[in-house]
Amino acid sequence: MKTTKPSPDAARQPHTTGGEGGQTRRSFLDRLGLGTLLTAIAGQTWMMVRALVPNVLYEPSLRFKVGTPDRFPEGVTFLEDRRLFIFRNQKMFYAISGVCTHLGCTVKMIQLNQPQKVEIRGKLTEERWEFHCPCHGSKFYAEGTPYAGPAPTPLAWYRLEVAADDGQLIVNLMEPVNQDFRLTV
Amino acid sequence: MAAEKTIWKKLIWTWKPESEFEAGDSIVRNLLLHWFPSKITFRSLSYRYSFWLGTASAILFGILTVTGVVLMFLYVPSVERAYASIKDIEFAVAFGWFLRGLHRIGAHLMVAVVFLHAVRVFLTGGYKNGVAANQNRPLNWIIGVVLLLSTLLLSFTGYLLPWDQLAFWAITVGTNIALAAPVVGEQTRFLLLGGNTIAQGALIRFYVLHCVFLPMLVLLLFAWHMWRIRKDGGLACADQLALDQKQEKAPPIKSKTYSLLGIAGTRTVHVEAALVDEDRHATPASPSLTLRLLVVILATVLLASLMTIVVEAPLEEPANPAVTSNPAKAPWYFLWLQELVADTTVRVGGLTLNGALVGGIIVPGILVGLLLVWPYLDRSSVRSAGIWFGSDRWRQNIVFLIIVLAILILTIVGTYMRGPYWGLYWPWETWPDLPRKF
Repeated sequence: MKTTKPSPDAARQPHTTGGEGGQTRRSFLDRLGLGTLLTAIAGQTWMMVRALVPNVLYEPSLRFKVGTPDRFPEGVTFLEDRRLFIFRNQKMFYAISGVCTHLGCTVKMIQLNQPQKVEIRGKLTEERWEFHCPCHGSKFYAEGTPYAGPAPTPLAWYRLEVAADDGQLIVNLMEPVNQDFRLTV
Repeated sequence: MAAEKTIWKKLIWTWKPESEFEAGDSIVRNLLLHWFPSKITFRSLSYRYSFWLGTASAILFGILTVTGVVLMFLYVPSVERAYASIKDIEFAVAFGWFLRGLHRIGAHLMVAVVFLHAVRVFLTGGYKNGVAANQNRPLNWIIGVVLLLSTLLLSFTGYLLPWDQLAFWAITVGTNIALAAPVVGEQTRFLLLGGNTIAQGALIRFYVLHCVFLPMLVLLLFAWHMWRIRKDGGLACADQLALDQKQEKAPPIKSKTYSLLGIAGTRTVHVEAALVDEDRHATPASPSLTLRLLVVILATVLLASLMTIVVEAPLEEPANPAVTSNPAKAPWYFLWLQELVADTTVRVGGLTLNGALVGGIIVPGILVGLLLVWPYLDRSSVRSAGIWFGSDRWRQNIVFLIIVLAILILTIVGTYMRGPYWGLYWPWETWPDLPRKF
């Protein structure tokens, strides 16, 4: 019996697979291995990045009750935790956001010493307060239109509703409304 | 006694070599010294060329790492407890005030020193390749720019952690600047905050960025930065010595001959050991470089420690989303940006471009972009590499200095001349008394 030992060089010989532009089994497996590794790394990187994008948010609801209308005195009430000004003019209600449209600081309401006539979008109106932002100096008229500083757009107005069950006011932050909006209770 | 002496000598000989041979050997044998060249030119060692600003910033990073790790044992990254834990560090922990103060001052100094380092490298044309082979100083400049940005991000993420008013409004403004970015703005803000509101998700993200991600990034880039300096043949000023030598028609520098290699390759291989005449211009790195390094370490630690004792580390009121401080100012190194976002809202016809986009993203983006590509646009001669105010770089140096000056002026206006509602006041004017709430 004579066993033939494979030559040590045999492993280094190219194994041709027949045609295919000189691709050998070895080079194919090289590429397959490298490709698998890179795909695995890319996939797992994506998994890790994706894990940082929350699927569930435990944030306060964007539509919420703020109390019955009689809770609100005539004039303005500032809801601190919602950064929202609720205005009451007898039976009419409206809500203006206290978040500056420039970079999100909370604007402060400035009571004017005496009423002032201003022209907003071609309409002459009398205002008794304004909103000023402490961060970058934006200034807004009483109904939220910016007239100085960097704020690009007016302060947001949000829809107010009355809850069917207990008659409380509901603010809906998902639904911006225009400045003519009034809720009559 | 003799044994003690031998052990002592074994421990310190690399730092105090007694011969040229030991000096050269020490660089190879000592883990800490091996990243230095064995010989260094006097010019590279001089204070007047580099002011050792890069070294100082590395030392400051070291101070920040050490104090930061201790602070990590004491600080709780939770919105309910962060503020109280900082207050504890300030008032209850033994020497906590010093740790926090040194960490804070170290960060302020690091921002300043890294910025000045970049200014120095620009003004000396230090990013320019010289005469040695395989130099890639422009790449090292790019690494440096990323290090500068990382330093700014590190300080930004750091001052958010106390969860005081400064922190809360800085996150508000910072993430809203990200929101102003076109297309990806909303997703970026969401990812940064881990939601839509500034709450626990945001704090833990900034905490991990500050304590793990950014320091690791800086460490990696710092190692690469130092390695590149070695590969580039040291500071750019050394290349000038080689050029001078060529003009002097000095005799060729001693070179090593590897005769066996020469035989094997059928020709003699000469390796040019150094570009400059080391006997005239250079000195062993140990102890010359190490001693000077110790002096810079001493000076930096001393300055930072003294400033910690003199300068108070403020802690504002606890974060309150309902009330923005008036005025709400960023730390001094971001005030030029705050000034920019406040002044750059553009209104053209019916179109309004938010200052957040123009001053917060476009202008800084252009500045960073220019910094990154500048070495490739600079066509000045090799004679301007490693020279303060090189004669054929005067135009670009002036433009650069004007930009630096503009940033400084905006910083000064933001620091001393902005009052309530970001109104302009002279530094000597008193601000009006204002009600604290709306």
